[in-house]
Amino acid sequence: MNFSKNFARMEEKGFDLDQAVTEAGRCLLCHEPPCSKGCPAQTDPGAFIRKIRFRNVTGAIRTIKENNILGGACGVLCPTARLCEKECSACGIDRPIRIGKIQRFLIEHSWKIGFHPFGADAPGNGTRKEKVAVVGAGPAGLSCAAELAKRGYAVTVFESKAEPGGVLRYGVPAFRLESGFLEREIDDVRALGVEFRCSKPISGRRSAERLLRDGYKAVFLAVGLWNPVRLKEGGAALRGVFTSMDFLAALREDKFREIGKAFEGKACAVIGGGSVAIDCARSALRLGAADVYLLYRRSYSQMPAEEGERAEALKEGVHFILLNQPFDYLSDARGNLKGIRLIRTRLGAKDSSGRRKPVEIKGTEWNLEAQAVIEAIGYKPEKGSGSWYPSVAVDKSGLIRADEKACRTSCKGIFAGGDIVRGPDLVVRAVRDGKTAARSIMEHLK
Amino acid sequence: MTKKADLSVTFCGKRFLNPFMLSSSPVSNSAEMVGRAFDAGWGGVAYKTLVTDRIPIYHPSPRMHGYHCGEKRLVGLQNVEQTTDRGLKPNLLDIAYLKKRWPEHVVMASIMGFSNQEWADLAKACTDAGADMLELNFSCPHMTVEGSGCKVGQEHELVEKFTATVRNVTSIPLVAKMTPNIADMNVPALAAKRGGADAISAINTVKGISEIGLDDWVPKPNVYGKGAISGYSGPAVKPIGLRFIAEMASNPQLALPLSGVGGIETWIDALEYLLVGASTVQVTTGIIHYGYRIVEDMIEGLSDYMAARGIRRVRDLVGKALPSLHDTGAFDVKKQGVAAYDLDRCVGCGQCHVVCRDAGGDALEWDGEKRRPRQIEDKCLSCMICSFVCPVSGLISYKKMPASWKRRATVTLGAG
Repeated sequence: MNFSKNFARMEEKGFDLDQAVTEAGRCLLCHEPPCSKGCPAQTDPGAFIRKIRFRNVTGAIRTIKENNILGGACGVLCPTARLCEKECSACGIDRPIRIGKIQRFLIEHSWKIGFHPFGADAPGNGTRKEKVAVVGAGPAGLSCAAELAKRGYAVTVFESKAEPGGVLRYGVPAFRLESGFLEREIDDVRALGVEFRCSKPISGRRSAERLLRDGYKAVFLAVGLWNPVRLKEGGAALRGVFTSMDFLAALREDKFREIGKAFEGKACAVIGGGSVAIDCARSALRLGAADVYLLYRRSYSQMPAEEGERAEALKEGVHFILLNQPFDYLSDARGNLKGIRLIRTRLGAKDSSGRRKPVEIKGTEWNLEAQAVIEAIGYKPEKGSGSWYPSVAVDKSGLIRADEKACRTSCKGIFAGGDIVRGPDLVVRAVRDGKTAARSIMEHLK
Repeated sequence: MTKKADLSVTFCGKRFLNPFMLSSSPVSNSAEMVGRAFDAGWGGVAYKTLVTDRIPIYHPSPRMHGYHCGEKRLVGLQNVEQTTDRGLKPNLLDIAYLKKRWPEHVVMASIMGFSNQEWADLAKACTDAGADMLELNFSCPHMTVEGSGCKVGQEHELVEKFTATVRNVTSIPLVAKMTPNIADMNVPALAAKRGGADAISAINTVKGISEIGLDDWVPKPNVYGKGAISGYSGPAVKPIGLRFIAEMASNPQLALPLSGVGGIETWIDALEYLLVGASTVQVTTGIIHYGYRIVEDMIEGLSDYMAARGIRRVRDLVGKALPSLHDTGAFDVKKQGVAAYDLDRCVGCGQCHVVCRDAGGDALEWDGEKRRPRQIEDKCLSCMICSFVCPVSGLISYKKMPASWKRRATVTLGAG
């Protein structure tokens, strides 16, 4: 079967102008809007919703784009229920204003009406002579590049993959964020004059330091986390075992025929309880899997995935197997996956994350039959990535040490942000890091 | 089941099942439409204004424009609607049919002549067709034919003359419909009375411009590149209608029954017209927005209101607000009060703080930590604008202050 149509468009419908105006009409127009304080990237919903209310739609678009160059993607992907919308004063009456949907609408509307918030008279890239290198074209890198380009710096973004976008492109299925949407939002960055050099990994020894030597006055490291945590070393040798990273990237690279074969009509399992695991499980359903099991070692309420996406996965027919720890695979003689070994768990005392820790229950091992499994249990820095920037201090897991207030690393002129500093985190926080780093870089270049 | 209140009312000697009428407009254009309205519960109709067939009537296209306020649709409606564009004969046949089929319902034929003779001819024809009463349209603000509509309403001798002409040819009650596009409605109303009118209806539409095209700068409705100042109606004009009805009801020289028109959508709007002196009310824009069905809620709402207060007849409500209506000079300004806050129910939006600072007495400090206003009572002007913007009904109320209470004077910044 051709499954590509299941991944062609965003499934969640956006608002139209009438819906956005109606929803904005519910806004209480708060003094010192708490929603604005709830946005990590300071996208300022309090201002852009007020602007819709006063029929200043272009101004609303400008507010978003000036504050958050990825305002569209954030509108689609942000877990608004625990950010801006959580702070909304209308919660005191009934439900919050649907800020994410309004934000997404405004960005789509800007494309529809051809409104470019930075216009032709933006300062533009290259009006200043200082060159800045951004390593990684994910949310943090794009955000930093756009901020600097708006102020006239000559920005070059180095990206190891074939296309820019980072996790927005390779880590989120297209039925949540379609390629065309992302492409247009990246075009907004290109329009500022940012230069992209794709398929240009910065993975040699001292690569970051070399950029400084090559005439870049500052470097922003936003390489993200692209090394999947594995259930078992050697697990990948079995046919049918995928990492979430390879699985999601393959879907983005249109390898539907190839990957569909492994899932269509099969019993499949996804290991993990985060947003990525949910994305994988829902994708597997859209590849025609007969059954999709989500295997999670704690309970429903401890899952890191957002409430809404958990509910959506359940509704679509993903079977949640909670309080079970997968620990091994079963295979046939030819190296095909046959099943998963699990052991039941119970919740014990709280761990360092504040959640109750799963404790294995002795003698409860069992086998789940499965022909495909996707491991979605986390990402870590790539092996040896520290050697790409030896003068930058990293912690023992390989995350770069940078201060959140300024994104400064231990090396003068090199800044860092996004997941390579934070560990796996939200897109909107990466956007904030990009803005913070841009401010620090401008200060550094003064 | 509780007993349904009797909503019947007598107006110009005619019994109405209830005070709710269609006003003369597109909603009363044919017997087919009016019949459905009667079945829905409307007590009477002011049938779409009839003219003689001498001058053909053509409607501009498009003929209406909606005025929206934010996400609230149709708070106002502008139209360049003309009188009926149907022939006189079909309309007379329809009127006769309505009276035969719905004898309990009141059919008031609206007419407009372009000469003395035409007024007389129309009045006779409608009387012969069986109309219960006539409404003399002196008030359409945008007729494209000279010597008609509100141009008549603004020439008081003509109002008197045309009314007298009609009076001479028919004995059925005459209701003169007034334009609000004047300063004092009592002047033409008294002229109509001198001419022999039995009642006054008001208001017709207010002249206005509802919107202007931002691309072509043509006021709307845009009739092939041309706009016009024309009739504006809907909820936005209700306060103006109430004012004119109250002024006429308070005039002892006029002393005629009144039919209230302008911005009525709910039983509350209708009740307010009754309270300032109308004994029937007429609706168009509410029907244009929601259809005939709104009368169900007008009937039920008014019935329940009357039942809850033990009021047995609609006429016991007519004019009941008038004894409390005074000139502003009559206010006792020694008595003062302030806004009082039930902050347990506050949702922390802070709009009260913003408006008090920028438009009131700057009497509300803002606690950004708790997201709550803090009142400085002796700065409160009691304008109550905070209560208008507060999203929680009843959170902010008015509190009377003792006679000894003094309001602080506004700060002066300039050096003395």
